[in-house]
Amino acid sequence: MIKEMLKVQIIGPRALLDEAVRELHAAAVVHVETVAEKFIKESEFLSKLPIEREKLKEKETLEKYSERLRNLKALLPPPSSHRPARVAADDIHRYMVDLAPFEERAKALRARKDELIEELSVINKYEKLLRGFAPIVSRLGGLKNFDITGLTLEKTREDISGLLESEVSRVTEGMFSIHLKDIDEHTLGIVLTYPRPYAPQVKALLSGKAISEMRLPDEYSEMTLIEALKLMGRRKAELPGLIDDADRELYSISSVWYAAITGVARAIDDALEEIGVLYYAAATRFAFIIEGWVPAEVYADLCERLSRQFNKRIHVRTLVVAASEQESIPVYIKNPRLIRPFEIFLTALSPPKYGSVDPTPFVALFFPAFFGLIVADMGYGGLILVLAAYLRKRFAGKRFFRDLATVFIVSGASAIFFGFLFGEFLGDLGERAGLLHPILLNRIEALKTLIVVALAIGIGHVLLGITISIVNHARRRHLKETGAKAVYLVLIASFLSLIAVMFGLVPRSVMPWGAGVMAVSFVALVVLEGMLGPIEFIEALGNIVSYVRLMAVGTASVVMALVANRMGEMADNMVLGVVIAGLIHCLNLLLSILSPSIQSMRLQYVEFFSKFYEGGGRLYKPFKKK
Amino acid sequence: MEKGLIALAAAIAIGLPALATGWAQSRIGSAGAGTIAEKPELAGIVIILVAIPETMVLLGFVVAYLIISG
Repeated sequence: MIKEMLKVQIIGPRALLDEAVRELHAAAVVHVETVAEKFIKESEFLSKLPIEREKLKEKETLEKYSERLRNLKALLPPPSSHRPARVAADDIHRYMVDLAPFEERAKALRARKDELIEELSVINKYEKLLRGFAPIVSRLGGLKNFDITGLTLEKTREDISGLLESEVSRVTEGMFSIHLKDIDEHTLGIVLTYPRPYAPQVKALLSGKAISEMRLPDEYSEMTLIEALKLMGRRKAELPGLIDDADRELYSISSVWYAAITGVARAIDDALEEIGVLYYAAATRFAFIIEGWVPAEVYADLCERLSRQFNKRIHVRTLVVAASEQESIPVYIKNPRLIRPFEIFLTALSPPKYGSVDPTPFVALFFPAFFGLIVADMGYGGLILVLAAYLRKRFAGKRFFRDLATVFIVSGASAIFFGFLFGEFLGDLGERAGLLHPILLNRIEALKTLIVVALAIGIGHVLLGITISIVNHARRRHLKETGAKAVYLVLIASFLSLIAVMFGLVPRSVMPWGAGVMAVSFVALVVLEGMLGPIEFIEALGNIVSYVRLMAVGTASVVMALVANRMGEMADNMVLGVVIAGLIHCLNLLLSILSPSIQSMRLQYVEFFSKFYEGGGRLYKPFKKK
Repeated sequence: MEKGLIALAAAIAIGLPALATGWAQSRIGSAGAGTIAEKPELAGIVIILVAIPETMVLLGFVVAYLIISG
């Protein structure tokens, strides 16, 4: 339900401005707006509230604190559960001072951890090469005054190895040894050993494109290959432990400080918001003015609260809302607790306009009804209900998931109800056991009846949507729109009466009247809505037929359940039969959650909402603490 | 012969719209996947958009039923 809003002006002495802002923040009911430029220009005493230098400095400091906390939070692993500490605005600075040493420590730890991870990744990169070279290098390790160089060679250029051997032989005057080893499918490893004095000549030789010397990371560059290999092996073994140590210390800082960090961050956000509100305000030499929107139901409480708190020195008054402002009135949607979870259906749309209709109560009725009508199985409904109840408990702290689970609890109950009426429990299992029997109809046998029922529901739902639109336009005195929608309703009703005559549902004597009314309303619709009118009419007929999905998807679901039971029956032994039937029922259950939800949702959004929903509203966002 | 023709007509009545629906959904689905990649908050609307062409196959189903039930 969209609540009535009042535009209010809060006026008080400038000396009380800060306190007043704090009080409004605590009251958490005012959607603050900028004082209109036009209003300021028209007054010779009024101007935009000048922001004091101290405030600007405070804002700058808080923004820096906020940035620091954001960075610190990014460094720390969040603890498994935490509740933000309550931090008063006056304590922000003290907390930031206390946090400083831990902030430095966390930065150092994070940098160390990053270094260790980098080192480990480099060692891993070299691991293959190391494994390839290690046996040869360890054999050659005892040679004093000899240099050992590791090379890798692309296997496609293997022919170079012969050339390399002859060239190395030339520059070292035959004093060298060469060992080849496959590193992987693309790389050949080569280890060259030669007297140290020949090192410069050998290095100069090794600058070919296909040959690359195995370059070690910087920290190993001063070592010989064998020393590097040994150190890398040692480091590889100890690095995971060192990384874990850094993680543990970060976690211990996080477990002590995370709640305080989030609490301070919130307090800073609140303080920044309080400064931010000053930019919306206007002032005379001695007074301040803050404007905003307040739900009518809390207006009296707000007046009383400010009057009591400031000894009647702050005054609240309502302003007349100009016609041009109607579009920008923030929308406050508040529904009874029972149907509030169904507000999640509005999250996929832009909020309804102020003065239009909140569809939540209708969705709360029709979504579970359509879902239940499609699933209509006591077994599936029960499982959906139990699963949703578990998820509701599991995600009790997350509003969206809790609401979604609540919607499915109601929808599951609806499926149980319709399942009872159609005598279905996991398909025909209930009936086979002699526990259930269709009370209303058998969905497999009464296809025609079901189509008629689905179309009748469609007619009712679509006409209800149009009726809501008529009432809403009439309430807002939009005469032309009211007339157009009324004519639209009459046109559809008269057309449907002709269809009813064709199928023999109403006497033929209705036909001339129906045709006459239809012709007149058609002309009236074209006059009022132009060529869009007839298009809307055809669209509405399509919308009505679209409700056949209630029957079509439902029938598919019940057939699948029957197939599950039949296939289970065909198995040689009972256990196998139960397993086969169970698996197919599980698949059908999954489809029974997905498909009916989407189809039912679609009927709300496309067929129903399109008749009356006016989006483009602006949500009411009261000035309140985090 | 007549029964066969009726069955064929019903099959065409539901088969062609089913193909058309599938084709439309594939186009909307791929565009929708791109949309969700950039704006995950539009997932709800995309699901609805994907479901919209299903009306075609439902109309086909109704026509097929009318053909078969005579």
